[in-house]
Amino acid sequence: MAKTKDEAPKSLEEQLKRLEEIATLLDRGDAPIDQQLQLFEEGMALAAGCRAYLEQAELKVQTLSGENPVIP
Amino acid sequence: MAEQAISVSLLTGEIKRLLENGIGEVLVVGEISNYKLHSSGHRYFTLKDSEASISGVMWRTRPLNFVPQDGMRVVVRGRLTVYNAQGKYQIDCVAMRPEGIGDLHQAFEELKQRLGAQGYFDAGRKRPLPRPIRRVGIATSPTGAVIRDMLTTIERRFPSLEVVFRPTIVQGGEHASRDIAAAIEQLNRCDVDVIIVGRGGGSLEDLWCFNTQVVADAIRSSSIPVISAVGHETDVTISDWVADVRAATPTAAAEMVTPVTRQDLLMALDALAREMTNDVRRNISDMQQLATAFVDGRAARRITERILMRAQRVDDLSTRLARSASNRLQRERIRVDHAAALLTSLHPLAPLQRGYAVIERNGHVLNATTPLQPGDKIDIRRQHDVVQATVDAITNVESTKGTSHGKDKG
Repeated sequence: MAKTKDEAPKSLEEQLKRLEEIATLLDRGDAPIDQQLQLFEEGMALAAGCRAYLEQAELKVQTLSGENPVIP
Repeated sequence: MAEQAISVSLLTGEIKRLLENGIGEVLVVGEISNYKLHSSGHRYFTLKDSEASISGVMWRTRPLNFVPQDGMRVVVRGRLTVYNAQGKYQIDCVAMRPEGIGDLHQAFEELKQRLGAQGYFDAGRKRPLPRPIRRVGIATSPTGAVIRDMLTTIERRFPSLEVVFRPTIVQGGEHASRDIAAAIEQLNRCDVDVIIVGRGGGSLEDLWCFNTQVVADAIRSSSIPVISAVGHETDVTISDWVADVRAATPTAAAEMVTPVTRQDLLMALDALAREMTNDVRRNISDMQQLATAFVDGRAARRITERILMRAQRVDDLSTRLARSASNRLQRERIRVDHAAALLTSLHPLAPLQRGYAVIERNGHVLNATTPLQPGDKIDIRRQHDVVQATVDAITNVESTKGTSHGKDKG
């Protein structure tokens, strides 16, 4: 799973989207059972990855320097 | 007239000394007119009443905690002095305040009306907050509770958010107004999805920097949606009117940019994992039943039995799962190895431990719809062995009354 600063939030969205796709496929249940197991495996790995990402996330704050006028 | 002519400078110096020593410090009340804020930051204006007027100057280094407007009655403190180059006497102001709070209210109403007439508050130009929000720009004071509260709120709700913080002067008058406008401009170049400008509650004078055209213009020209979060619920500023979204408090703004919390997502993930697990379990169970039917002559009776067993098994497992899910939620921690454990329990060969058999051909599990021909070589996998067999005949099962069997051949 992506953990890099730049893409993590976006890929979280993508991972969630994929996860929902998988859940829909499994709910339908018409795929061959081997494929279902593959999907299931992928889905559980995604879920675990997203959880780990969310649990480990720490707030990143970048502070800019402003143009502070001089006040005596 | 003296015999000896003196220079203009000398004369002016004399006048200056007379005025500065003779009058010196003054406290004057009057109406402001011709107020000019020079780009240098110095302010020039005229103070007048119905019968007289006097020039005034207030250097940029003098703090001013509101924005003077023409027509406003103010009280200034300063020293009388002379501007030599123009032979003009003026007040060098050290401090200025509105004579009454009524003037500030009036100025506020006037500016509000003027900007309103120019379309600054039109609902049509307000933008909704984007989804998803990844990066947020915040312009507020680096000291005090406001920034701390906002960061705490964001961290509690959705710590994956990135914050770009621009420390900003948000107290008082012109300096603050210009700094707020500069901050909005600067944050527009920082690849943020939304900008929050705000500060905590205060007097009308404290909040005045949010009641200026400079700030209104900066918000209006921002290409990124702006949330204005100034003061308490009851404080409404021009900034609130112009912004795309108004938040009642800075903390409320922090909540707006984190509409989906980490906890929401963790719960959704948990629900999805549970759904997937149940679905796969159900699908495998169906497959298992049919596979078993191939090798069991007493299929009809057993199928009913299996269905009951399956129902019971699903009950057992879902109870267990629900219990473990709620435990996890209580701990607010979801174990990553959970997935692995479930996968193991769901492996298609796991039911062998309970006495079932699985049919395979060339190492692939056969399901109920895989075509089989008489003469096909199949493997029947039981818990401790694999039986090689050849299909004798295939009989279609009609409803639950039929039979089917594969016959073992050494």
